[in-house]
Amino acid sequence: MQLYTRRRISNYLVVTLSLGATAFGLLFLIFVLGTLLTNGIGALSLSLITQATPPPGSAGGLTNAIFGSLAMTAIATLVGTPTGILAGTFLAEYAHGSRLGELVRFINDVLLSAPSIIIGLFVYALLVVPMGHFSAWAGSVALAIIMIPVIVRTTEDMLNLVPSTLREAAAALGAPKWKIVVTVTYRSAVQGMLTGVLLAVARISGETAPLLFTALNNQFWSTDLNRPMANLPVVIFQFAMSPYADWQVLAWAGALLITAAILVLNIGARFFASWSGLQK
Amino acid sequence: MSLSLATSNPPPSEMAMQPSANASVTPFPVKCQIKNVGFYYGKFHALKNVSLPLHDRRVTAFIGPSGCGKSTLLRILNRIYELYPNQTATGEVLVDGQDILAPGLDLNLVRAKIGMVFQKPTPFPMSIHDNVAFGIKLYERLPKSELDDRIEHALRRAALWDEVKDKLRQSGLGLSGGQQQRLCIARAIAVQPEILLLDEPASALDPISTQRIEELIAELKSDYCIAIVTHNMQQAARSSDYTAFMYLGELVEFDETEKIFTTPREKRTEDYITGRFG
Amino acid sequence: MVAIPQAPAQRRPAGHAGDAVFHGLTVFFALLVLMILGGVIGSLVYGAWPAFRQFGFGFIFNGAWNPVTENFGALAPIYGTLVTSLIAMLIGVPVAFGVALFITELCPKWLKRPLGTMIELLAAIPSIIYGIWGLFILAPFIQEHIEPALIATLGKVPGIGLLFSGPPLGIGVLTAGFILAIMVLPISSAVMRDVFETVPPMLKESAYGIGATTTEVVWQVVLPYTRVGVIGAVLLGLGRVLGETMAVTFVIGNSHHVNASILQPGTTISASLANEFTEAVGDLYLSSLIALGFILFVITFIVLAAAKLMLIRLQKGAGASA
Repeated sequence: MQLYTRRRISNYLVVTLSLGATAFGLLFLIFVLGTLLTNGIGALSLSLITQATPPPGSAGGLTNAIFGSLAMTAIATLVGTPTGILAGTFLAEYAHGSRLGELVRFINDVLLSAPSIIIGLFVYALLVVPMGHFSAWAGSVALAIIMIPVIVRTTEDMLNLVPSTLREAAAALGAPKWKIVVTVTYRSAVQGMLTGVLLAVARISGETAPLLFTALNNQFWSTDLNRPMANLPVVIFQFAMSPYADWQVLAWAGALLITAAILVLNIGARFFASWSGLQK
Repeated sequence: MSLSLATSNPPPSEMAMQPSANASVTPFPVKCQIKNVGFYYGKFHALKNVSLPLHDRRVTAFIGPSGCGKSTLLRILNRIYELYPNQTATGEVLVDGQDILAPGLDLNLVRAKIGMVFQKPTPFPMSIHDNVAFGIKLYERLPKSELDDRIEHALRRAALWDEVKDKLRQSGLGLSGGQQQRLCIARAIAVQPEILLLDEPASALDPISTQRIEELIAELKSDYCIAIVTHNMQQAARSSDYTAFMYLGELVEFDETEKIFTTPREKRTEDYITGRFG
Repeated sequence: MVAIPQAPAQRRPAGHAGDAVFHGLTVFFALLVLMILGGVIGSLVYGAWPAFRQFGFGFIFNGAWNPVTENFGALAPIYGTLVTSLIAMLIGVPVAFGVALFITELCPKWLKRPLGTMIELLAAIPSIIYGIWGLFILAPFIQEHIEPALIATLGKVPGIGLLFSGPPLGIGVLTAGFILAIMVLPISSAVMRDVFETVPPMLKESAYGIGATTTEVVWQVVLPYTRVGVIGAVLLGLGRVLGETMAVTFVIGNSHHVNASILQPGTTISASLANEFTEAVGDLYLSSLIALGFILFVITFIVLAAAKLMLIRLQKGAGASA
């Protein structure tokens, strides 16, 4: 009887601990989002989208930062998406069992998990130094490099899910390989691939480190892609670490905006995936 | 006149080439001649020296236990195995006198001439109209009205037109299993092939759909040379004119269906047909 | 019945040029991925070379960091990186394990998906948010409640007390480690969950059928089966945490000193880079920073390569025994 009781107690203990661990995780999720909300909502006002970032000690908005983030995210997506999709297509459709395929896959995973600040250093050496100045182009390239491995991974996974019989049926009709991939395989996997792109966009929306050495920041409203450009993450970094209350308030507002955008993208991507799954 | 069994038989492939004395099937010309075909999955010798004719406007059924190589043989006929590495075929497959296994041929044109329908229905993720048009558009530039005519014709011949004529723009994935398979058949015949390969076309379907597919095959044979792989012996007996029995990668016996099922020459054939194995 | 149309006399061949072009495109972009990594490594080596040439191998063990005398050493950043990561793993891994255990074995079916999603949302929150939250919310909290308690209790114990000495600042290695623990939690628990789910249900059912408790099934069936994968999950989390920049930069205090006490400020490689790179004057300063980046890259590469190997071995093992 003693053994049995001991087993029951230790089981009870472990169950309680794991329940506690889960509660701990959830607690912090709520804690972080909650304080973000309370501090950020107070900072929300129309001036966020009407005024640019102010000098220290005065009030202002975040228009230049919002524009910069949107612009660089858009360019990065335009550059990174076709690259990632085509490289992922190579892995799924052309590289079965080949050494090159294994190498690319491995390297892709390394890039996927590489610290993003290292990517920033690379683009600094690649673009900023030769150009002689920071620029939004450099920032976009850095973001694109962070996006690409994510899209390669999801594209390859989604394409591999397409049953081979579908490809065979198209081949049996006499379709050349590229047509099979583009008109049948892509079409089958399009929802999954799109979800992957959305998740990649969400990922780069909050990236700060790679922008620190590439796009830097810009105090004023600017649409010049060839110059340093303001962006939300670096503005938050600069303003939050400063001793000025006005700046700190703007930092919270910016943080709320970024988090809201990311959560919408993430949850949206999940709903899109399951909704389109139901469609079939 | 049936010949004596067992030891004194010449190799089955040779015998298979000679028509039986009392031919009850009107002989149509041979559309496709399979000559000494072998197949390797890597090092594994899956098919050994198979030879038989496929007659035009006739249905030839391939039967045999699982793993006997009947699907493998079918997949040689349109060279679909070439999608995968480490799979090689030897021998000759003469279609209208031309060896389609020869190197240097335009593979896609070969496949356009030889259509295939698979075991599991595989509608493309597009509308019914686009599914059927897919193959046509690969090769021909047709004005819209002519394209629509071809699609209607294909769907009619596949006995699907009446059921889908009002929903051509809807996705092919929304059809039932039996309808999807008929869509695949329509898609295959829309490109006007000369040979149709059917790999267990009804095995994933319910009995009613199966029956409709069999009726369809009986109708289609007036225009095409049809080869069908089936694990359902009764289906082979019902629907085909010629039957080839395969076992462990070899062609054991080939003859008119009636002869195979009533007076088979080989003991192995007889054992399989009477259900002693497989 | 519609009349049978004539078979086309001549079919035009479908695009072979198309095949070559498309194949070429995919190969090109795949090679681009390789080139990007090559570029990263190349630029790091090139940029770090002056520093390594100047300081040699001793760079790694040099605790100084003086831009004026141009004496730079990587000891403080490396130490900070390792210690904060260690704290993160010590706190985060058991919690991640508990979460994974709960979600796969204990939680009711209807709760699995939403719970998993919520934990994954923790991973979606960018690190700068953790940074700002850490600076304004967590650090003061730790300063007022946690650190005094630690100093009063463990700080008095001889030996370990060294770890908890010094004034409670809130900012420091401990806070940074704690935030990293929260950040490693979702990734590690997600991978562990996937790993736990590879266990064939039949295996677990046989154990439950004999009357084993949940703990016993996990300890004696699931864990041995997935041991390699769990280590892989831990290493994956470690790799992520080693390179974490923004969350750490806000709360680590940015001091190039090696301190035994975890209540003191310190610095990590990525925090040093983030704080000093744009203001570094002088080629040697810049090169030393890039050298730090190179060291970080090497460390994370080794950890991640090891993680991948473990996870591949788990897949092979699962496939072999299936």
